[in-house]
Amino acid sequence: MSLTFIGGIHPRENKNAKNKPIEMLPPPKTIRLQMSQHIGVHCTPTVSVGDHVYKYQCIGRITAGLGVPVHSSVSGTVTEITKSVTPDNVEKQTVVIDNDGLNTPDPSVCGYDGPLSGLSPEQIIDIVREAGISGMGGATFPSYAKINSAAGKVSRLIINCCECEPYICANYRLMIEDPDAVINGAKLLMKALGLRRCDIAIEDNKKEAIKLFTKKLAGNPMFTVRMMKTKYPQGDERQLIYAIYNIMIPQGKLPADVGCVIFNTETTAAVYRAVALGIPLCERIVTVDGDCVKEPKNILCPIGAPLSDLVDFCGGLVKTPKKIIFGGPMMGQAQWDIHAPVSKGTSAALLLSSAQTTEYEHRSACIRCGKCVSVCPMHLMPTYLASFSRTYNFDMCEKFGVMSCVECGSCTYVCPGSVPIVQLIRSAKVRIKENRAKKS
Amino acid sequence: MKKRELNRSANDFDKMLTVSPNPHIKSSETTTSLMLCVIIALAPATVWGVYQFGLRALMIILVSIVSCVASEALSSLIFKLKFSITDLSAVVTGLLLGLNLPVSVPLWMPAVGGVFAIVIVKQLFGGIGKNFLNPALCARVFLFSWAHEMTFFTAPKTALPLFSSEIDAVSTATPLASLNEGLLPSTPILDLFIGKQPGCIGEISAMLLLAGGLFLIIRKVISIRIPLAFIGTVFALTYLFPLGDQDVHFAVASVFSGALFLGAFFMATDYTTSPCTPIGQIIYGVGCGALTVLIRYFGGYPEGVSFAILIMNLFVWFIDKFTKPKPFGFVKPEKPKKAEGGEAK
Repeated sequence: MSLTFIGGIHPRENKNAKNKPIEMLPPPKTIRLQMSQHIGVHCTPTVSVGDHVYKYQCIGRITAGLGVPVHSSVSGTVTEITKSVTPDNVEKQTVVIDNDGLNTPDPSVCGYDGPLSGLSPEQIIDIVREAGISGMGGATFPSYAKINSAAGKVSRLIINCCECEPYICANYRLMIEDPDAVINGAKLLMKALGLRRCDIAIEDNKKEAIKLFTKKLAGNPMFTVRMMKTKYPQGDERQLIYAIYNIMIPQGKLPADVGCVIFNTETTAAVYRAVALGIPLCERIVTVDGDCVKEPKNILCPIGAPLSDLVDFCGGLVKTPKKIIFGGPMMGQAQWDIHAPVSKGTSAALLLSSAQTTEYEHRSACIRCGKCVSVCPMHLMPTYLASFSRTYNFDMCEKFGVMSCVECGSCTYVCPGSVPIVQLIRSAKVRIKENRAKKS
Repeated sequence: MKKRELNRSANDFDKMLTVSPNPHIKSSETTTSLMLCVIIALAPATVWGVYQFGLRALMIILVSIVSCVASEALSSLIFKLKFSITDLSAVVTGLLLGLNLPVSVPLWMPAVGGVFAIVIVKQLFGGIGKNFLNPALCARVFLFSWAHEMTFFTAPKTALPLFSSEIDAVSTATPLASLNEGLLPSTPILDLFIGKQPGCIGEISAMLLLAGGLFLIIRKVISIRIPLAFIGTVFALTYLFPLGDQDVHFAVASVFSGALFLGAFFMATDYTTSPCTPIGQIIYGVGCGALTVLIRYFGGYPEGVSFAILIMNLFVWFIDKFTKPKPFGFVKPEKPKKAEGGEAK
């Protein structure tokens, strides 16, 4: 039996790259490294124009506050330090590096010699911070901070291998091709958190991964492989915890408040590589898919590589894209530039033509069919929230629990009237937060 | 070379890329496809009605549909509403109105009813999704202003003129009329189920309406809650409190006669005028059923389905409000006294 939650949707999976092994991207000519690829404070560049940088060299640091450093993913020369504006209207400093093609590694990079079990939790957390690891599923929360806030408080660790969004199969390929990195990473996380147990949650459309992990972990009392139902948003932390342990995270609380902590598959593998091999986070697997690319692929690419290089590697474009999305089609962010650089949170790059993506009608009408109510994983009434938000009735929005919304977009996906429900909810949430800030 | 080509084409489409907030995909279901499903589900009962009552029945349905679609087109132009003919909702309203009329009504009645349903009940309140009463049912009740025409039922297979309003036929009592006197109808129950009974054009065959309703449930257009609660309540009440000295046959005949199946599967489930919470839908269905039986037993007109649904329509907002599901991880907000006195200040 697969575990699951109440509500949710099952969009067409479209995982066209599911059986494509991970391939290395040919070295890109230039890379663009954004100084903020995580939630928190932006980094300050530690290099200047004209400097030579090694691969794995730290090029951006946090002076104070929450954040992780950024490392160069190639060796070469810094040609430019500019500011670029991302589609969500955030100005980010960007370091542009010309690749010399030599991949000269930073001489100071070295793996850990002794047995990994000899490391203390503090050492692991330190390495994770220095390696610049942040959540690689899309939310990009700095991993060291997550471990720090969870250590001593939590009793359950979940490795999130759900990958519930359509198209994306980067995590699936990683699980099949390098299961040991995931398992060892999970062991290191357990060590850092002081736990002895770990759940690996895999959706039931990834039968091979489930088989492989069950076989590898047979007889190991520390691990449990949990089969989850294929449903969106199964990978959402609230729904995942509810599905496995039947615990609801109270409104406004975090997983750590109910004794749980969740790490993404690729983040877990990155922790292992950082600790055992000393390699900081500077490459990741990106699924390139969509009906506009010739051949969908899973690509291991240096962070900062321009999307156009990835598209070229997939055989180029066959159709004119309407939308370019970084991340999944449900939660991802639309891009305005085909040269946009891959960042730490980019799990997929989708190039969709107008046939596969939607534009919302300006004058859409709710017919009150109630489908949004039945799919809402947070058990809200999106139809009312949207109509209250439309009429600026934010008090009623609050009464109907708008602040509980996790913005998964399931309501908007099913809406036959093409009402931009989640967008309306978002604007209501922003207004309510503004009003609260004014009051206090 | 290839790279440059890509760059050039990239510059071209870059300007046309859509940058909008997520989600970026949508299910293929649209209002139009849902309405089409309803039309398909009503098709067997419609064909049966035309087969039983002759081409005049088809004429009435067509007049009703044309009237609805035309008034939707005109009124959306006049009121500057979204031009919504293509969503087929006006066709569904027209079809339902036609199916809810006796075959002997003069042809101007579906025409007037269509205008009333669309202009007064729907468009004046803001168009699709904004009306708080079911347009087709409201129009039907409006047409009761001509009570004689609306209650003149002919037996199936009576020859009627196609256009003329001069009906040279005898009115027959519907099975409901005898049920309300505490007598079992002369029509056998199997005939009631199949649809060999006098009545409105589309309401006679419980069997075909059930088939259409099941189609909608399987396609997940409607949920089973409202029809089940509605029909179940009518059955339970007529079984527990039969008129006269009747046994279970009375309850079975009550369920299969009148507009119950048409109402329960196609009118009470109208999205706009029914609750959208699961518990709310059950309450609404039970309410419809109870009111139907009350009106049938104590009302002046033998059938109560239309009135019952319209009355329950008025309660939808309150039902939704009071059956609002508890949000995931809901915590009771603390009493403001405690919270502010304790730590906030």
